[in-house]
Amino acid sequence: MALKTILIVEDDRFIGEMYVRSLKKAGYDVDWMVDGNDGLIAARNKQYDLILLDVMLPERRGSEILDALRGSNEDLIPHSKVVILTNFEQDDESRSAMEARADAYLIKAEITPSKLLAVIEQLSQ
Amino acid sequence: MAVEPQSSHKPQLVKDFWPRFKRGAVFLIIGLQVLILIAIAALLSSSGFFKDNPLGFTATLVAQSILGIVASLVIYRFVAKPIKYLLAALVHVAGEPTNSTPPNPNEAHFERSGLKPVLQTVYQLASDIKDPIEEGRETRLPTPVGETKPSDTLPKTDRTPLETALDETPAGFVAFNNERVITYANKAAPLRVDTAGTKTLELLFNEHDNLFTWWDECEKSAVHAEKIWPRIPNKLPNEEDRRFFDIIASYDKGASSEVVVTLIDRTYLYSVEEEELDFIAFAAHELRGPITVIRGYIEVLQDELSDTLKDDQTELFRRLSVSASRLSGYINNILNTSRYDRRHLNMHLSETTLKAVYDTISDDMSQRASSQQRLLTVSIPEDMPTIAADTASLGEVLGNLIDNAIKYSNEGGLINVTAAQKGDTIEIAVEDHGIGMPANVVSNLFQKFYRSHRSRETVAGTGIGLYISKAIVESHGGTISVRSEDGHGSTFIVSLPTYKMVADKLKASDNKNEQIISSGRGWIKNHNMYRG
Repeated sequence: MALKTILIVEDDRFIGEMYVRSLKKAGYDVDWMVDGNDGLIAARNKQYDLILLDVMLPERRGSEILDALRGSNEDLIPHSKVVILTNFEQDDESRSAMEARADAYLIKAEITPSKLLAVIEQLSQ
Repeated sequence: MAVEPQSSHKPQLVKDFWPRFKRGAVFLIIGLQVLILIAIAALLSSSGFFKDNPLGFTATLVAQSILGIVASLVIYRFVAKPIKYLLAALVHVAGEPTNSTPPNPNEAHFERSGLKPVLQTVYQLASDIKDPIEEGRETRLPTPVGETKPSDTLPKTDRTPLETALDETPAGFVAFNNERVITYANKAAPLRVDTAGTKTLELLFNEHDNLFTWWDECEKSAVHAEKIWPRIPNKLPNEEDRRFFDIIASYDKGASSEVVVTLIDRTYLYSVEEEELDFIAFAAHELRGPITVIRGYIEVLQDELSDTLKDDQTELFRRLSVSASRLSGYINNILNTSRYDRRHLNMHLSETTLKAVYDTISDDMSQRASSQQRLLTVSIPEDMPTIAADTASLGEVLGNLIDNAIKYSNEGGLINVTAAQKGDTIEIAVEDHGIGMPANVVSNLFQKFYRSHRSRETVAGTGIGLYISKAIVESHGGTISVRSEDGHGSTFIVSLPTYKMVADKLKASDNKNEQIISSGRGWIKNHNMYRG
């Protein structure tokens, strides 16, 4: 399945704009939400192929959003992939919990936009 | 008058013996004198001396009884005196209540009479037997005359003054015999006693650098040795009464206490640092934000300007991006070191190939090498057996080794990264042809903050790269080593077990993890995995 639509939930304006710019240039349809509440609402209202989710977010943490979307009872986004993008060193348990429910877990400082594109490319296959 | 027999229900005491003995001796002397008197009187009267000279007869009898009693008493005193002192010493050694003072072997008359070593032996034997933690030790010979310290010869009550003093200090003292059994521990020492009554030190050493690994080393090669371990906790995080110790151990081959451990409680100092771990995590987050932006925009700009940039400008962009990626690697080193030192470093091991791990850093590495005019050749076969690796951490190790190879070689230098299977392990070698190092540097290389004298002057760095690399490799169940020749370059070799070798252990520890995580101690798993 080729990924086409992407939701970015990212509160840092510089980083958000950077990803939006690169992803759009690569031909994706991109929506960008700055806070956790808006991010969760957007993810529920529209079916995205991919969600790029930050952890440290205002209003609602990335971990809570992931819980709400892929909680234990029901997967609300069975057709979406989720990539966690964070710079925060989570404690082990929280990290493991998120990794188990997401399709990838990346440290933002360790990737550049082109690496992110490569990862998305891999997820499409 | 007969000696009153000891009533049977009373406990027999050492101090009761002397009065009884003395009474018996006095009765014996008087009784014998009376008998001798009667015998002499009978003898003299039968020979007619009484009839011939009644006055002389009486004078003889009186003189005989007086001289006899005096002589008997003198002999009695001479013979009984040592017994008296010995008994007095035994009364004190036995710990019976008494008003008398114990005989002091250092008094001159004991020395003259030769009783001093006898008393010392009594005290010495008593201290060996009475001290329960000294039990099992070979009996010490009495201290040679003239070399005795007063504290050694003073009689023991329940505890020696030294023991009482040691129990009052906040520092812990623990003595081990050569069978590695704890023979003494004062109050402040953190001990755990199992159901069989065996005492062990309750300390969470690093599994690869603990008291017993050091002891093993000492047994092989040392006569006297000392070692210090800073910041060793006695309990896991979140456990009650967690304390931190600086630990000093000294080893003396063949001594009755072969290893003596001193523990200094530094909880007040290190618990603060424990809280700083949170700070470091937040600081890392703050630092990584700008780095993400810098790395990202450098790439975006370089990409979008690629048509208009001149060659030298492209090179400038490359330097920017190499520097930013090194910065991000460096933050990881700091984070991992701080976690490792506090025992929070955790590996998420999963089955992968070395090639796949290297691929994640390959672009960065080629860029780093070429921007600094080094020739990096990498040859990692794809068909090697899989390994159990934490991709990000192992990538950092390889990054650190290649960074070092770049740092310590010259422009135009060749750096080879090769990998091969060696039995049940995969060996990765990072070889440079740079300045190399002398043997004395090699032995210190993996210590925290270690920098060789030469590199301090010529190459920038802080000396945590190899330290954390070793920690990460060992958490994978592997080893890291170095071959180097001064002036001819160095080769670092990382050796990792194949996935097949650790799969069972990994699965077992995964099962355990679920329990551990649910009890809130997820971090312990990598420490247990390769223990024994």
